[in-house]
Amino acid sequence: MLPKYLRAILAAFKMNFLSLVVDGFFIFATFLMPLIYALIAFGILRDKGAQYGIFIAIGSGLAGLWSTLMFGSGNAITGERWTGTLEMIAATPTPMWMIVFGKSLGVILQALLSMIVSYLLGWLVFGYPLVIAQPLEFFAALLISLLSFIAFGLMLAPAFMLNPQIDQFQNALEFPVYILCGFLFPIALLPFWTTPFSYILSPYWAARLLQAAAGGTLTLEQFLFDGAIVLALGVIYLLLASFLFRIVLKKTRVDATLGLQ
Amino acid sequence: MFCIASSFILHPSSLMQCIFINLQLFLQGAILSYRALFSWLRPVTFLASMILFPLGQIMFFTLLGIFATGRENASFFLIGNAMQITASAGIFGVTMAIGGERWAGTLMYLFGAPANRLAVFTGRSTIHIFNGVFQVLMGLGWGWLLGWVDFSRTDPFALGLTILIATFGTAALGLLLGCLGLITLNIMFINNLVYFLLLLFSGANVPVTALPQWMQYISWALPLTRGIEAARAIVGGASLAHVSSLLVGEFLIGVAYLLAGYLLFRVFESEAKRRGTLEAF
Repeated sequence: MLPKYLRAILAAFKMNFLSLVVDGFFIFATFLMPLIYALIAFGILRDKGAQYGIFIAIGSGLAGLWSTLMFGSGNAITGERWTGTLEMIAATPTPMWMIVFGKSLGVILQALLSMIVSYLLGWLVFGYPLVIAQPLEFFAALLISLLSFIAFGLMLAPAFMLNPQIDQFQNALEFPVYILCGFLFPIALLPFWTTPFSYILSPYWAARLLQAAAGGTLTLEQFLFDGAIVLALGVIYLLLASFLFRIVLKKTRVDATLGLQ
Repeated sequence: MFCIASSFILHPSSLMQCIFINLQLFLQGAILSYRALFSWLRPVTFLASMILFPLGQIMFFTLLGIFATGRENASFFLIGNAMQITASAGIFGVTMAIGGERWAGTLMYLFGAPANRLAVFTGRSTIHIFNGVFQVLMGLGWGWLLGWVDFSRTDPFALGLTILIATFGTAALGLLLGCLGLITLNIMFINNLVYFLLLLFSGANVPVTALPQWMQYISWALPLTRGIEAARAIVGGASLAHVSSLLVGEFLIGVAYLLAGYLLFRVFESEAKRRGTLEAF
């Protein structure tokens, strides 16, 4: 099924990526926001020592990645509604989720740049020794994480579309996820009752994997366990996305209320 | 302004009427622009976004501060970030109240009206100042509930005045940025950038004295820097007289941004009219 729609996926990916790289807000979220977070974190953690450099670089990059993913994927369908193209996309023979998948790939690529920028800034601007102690494990963890993030993006798109209330919470959803996922400090600082919320977010497990691999403390057991959870959460997100897409299409074809704001 | 001057010279009795009209314009502009900005939100969502976003930001940076420097310094981060939250109303709210006219297609009516520009311009920021004060108080309240800040030695009047002046300063900055929204499509880029730079430069998270010298010059030229310092001192037990120089400085910075914003507003208005680019995208 996938090769049949490959051209549509690539076209959606290309269009979305090119739109995002010239969009002022996404340029901010991808390049400038991680830099500002990193500057603040370096300022606050300045007495903790140089070993925190890689921790901050990865944490700031993940924060930028999350923001880009949430706004990019969250608006993947909503944006089409604003521009009046949603009905046309829903009516094309290519399944809607394929188009959103292509758009999510564009978002992920831009979000990935956020991590690279954070890493380079920590190294070039702050002069910290940003050495990845276990590079092979790090890139394997990054690949697994990105797959899960794509699934997350696929779930966000119809969820934001179906519930304008969530859409309006976009700004409010940024910091709670930074906190719950332990991007810049351990979740042990949080009350115990918040831990289950951390566990159902794949960025939390991704941050654990990436920070452990970068710091050289990643064991095979942790890699397998955390990696399996990241992938399992990705599958759950995909199932939820599939369910939500069915509702979106029903609203389009049966209720004819899709374009209504 | 012309209306007031000419009325005063020709008909002193109509001066009151002119003031009344401008006051009405100011108040109606304040209320209607605010309602228009949030009309798309349901009350529950509006309140939740007013609570969740500030709480999230305050918690994130305070927890980061606790992780880095220990729980005993929690109040430094909490007060800094609670005060900085006022910029969300001051910058995002006010910017969109001005710049949003362009997106809503109402700019040419606004610029075509004979209304007093100062009343129109300043009216846009009024309710956002109250919003900002409410958000700061809520942030400080959360800190108190969580046991991160102790108000036992605080002069509530001095703290309230500090919050009001700091909020006025950020709203003035918002008015200046809102003017940029009249000529650029990238206003979300600009106001996000300024908002997040305030987190760095205002001393909310990193003491101003710990910043490089060139950054300190920028810090002292921005609203909030003096307000945050004053708020920390007041919560620590300082009197109003002790922080008066900081508050006067903060107020004057706000006035400077307000005047710069108003000047820019008039320049952009005449430029947009001259070039015919009022609604160019």
